[in-house]
Amino acid sequence: MNRSLVTEKLTAIFRTVFNDEGIELRDDLTANEVANWDSLTHMLMIGEVEKEFSIKFKLKELGKLEDVKSLIDLIEHKMNS
Amino acid sequence: MSEYLIRKAVASDIPFLADVVIASEKAMSDRLSFTTLFNKTEEEAKELIIQMFEEEVDGCELSLSSFIVTEFEGKPISGSGAWIEGFKGNMPSGILKSNLISYTFGKESIGYLKTKSNIVKDVMIEREPMTLQLEYFHIKNEHLGKGLDAALMDKIEENALAQYPELKKVQCQIFKNSVFSIKILLRHGFKIVKSYKSDNDDIFDYLPFNEKLLMEKILKTD
Repeated sequence: MNRSLVTEKLTAIFRTVFNDEGIELRDDLTANEVANWDSLTHMLMIGEVEKEFSIKFKLKELGKLEDVKSLIDLIEHKMNS
Repeated sequence: MSEYLIRKAVASDIPFLADVVIASEKAMSDRLSFTTLFNKTEEEAKELIIQMFEEEVDGCELSLSSFIVTEFEGKPISGSGAWIEGFKGNMPSGILKSNLISYTFGKESIGYLKTKSNIVKDVMIEREPMTLQLEYFHIKNEHLGKGLDAALMDKIEENALAQYPELKKVQCQIFKNSVFSIKILLRHGFKIVKSYKSDNDDIFDYLPFNEKLLMEKILKTD
């Protein structure tokens, strides 16, 4: 799966989980900038990403996520390894 | 008080801390969110709470490093959690806790949570950066009324100020039905600053109460 398809699928997840059809993903987007990104929706987002891409994150990997770029990089890495 | 030893929690305290979390989360009810929101039994939830503590992620309410315990005759009889929110560049504690739960509880439980999230969202409170967050405070019944609560509060603040002398505020999120704990906090200088209430009666099937209070104490500065 190429990066643009990952981004497209991730955008759909973000729009659903964070209940905002206007969300546009960019590399430096962080939780602080998304109105509904809280502890509850974070859990739901991680769950949806794992389900959509058939991957399982390690705790250490989750702890290093800083922004959308790092999430897309990690998804790509896990899908290609 | 001399028969009590207050110390930092260590790995061997983890099963006891899991009991502290469960007792505190229930907040004078029989509802434990780690079971009701994730479709787990209390036994399964306790095992998963132990696993989360064992990951040793710092900076949230499921961090071993956040806890102090009181020992009486060599056994832990109280546990209290507190951490400075976002200290030393830590992620928000809510995200750290969510990562721990996502990783430990697994997809099925998160899928179950998804069906319940709307019920509980109104009582979710984000935490204020660089404040001391107090969460999970439990003393075994037979040791109540002996001044231990005040000693623990003092110790928690003392530890936090040693880490971060510029600390200005302590906050605690607490269900409104926790009357005994609220009384202790008020006695220790906390004030109720905000209330978060849900009008969805289904919440009583999942959480101890439908209203959560944000309590706050401003620390004196010299």
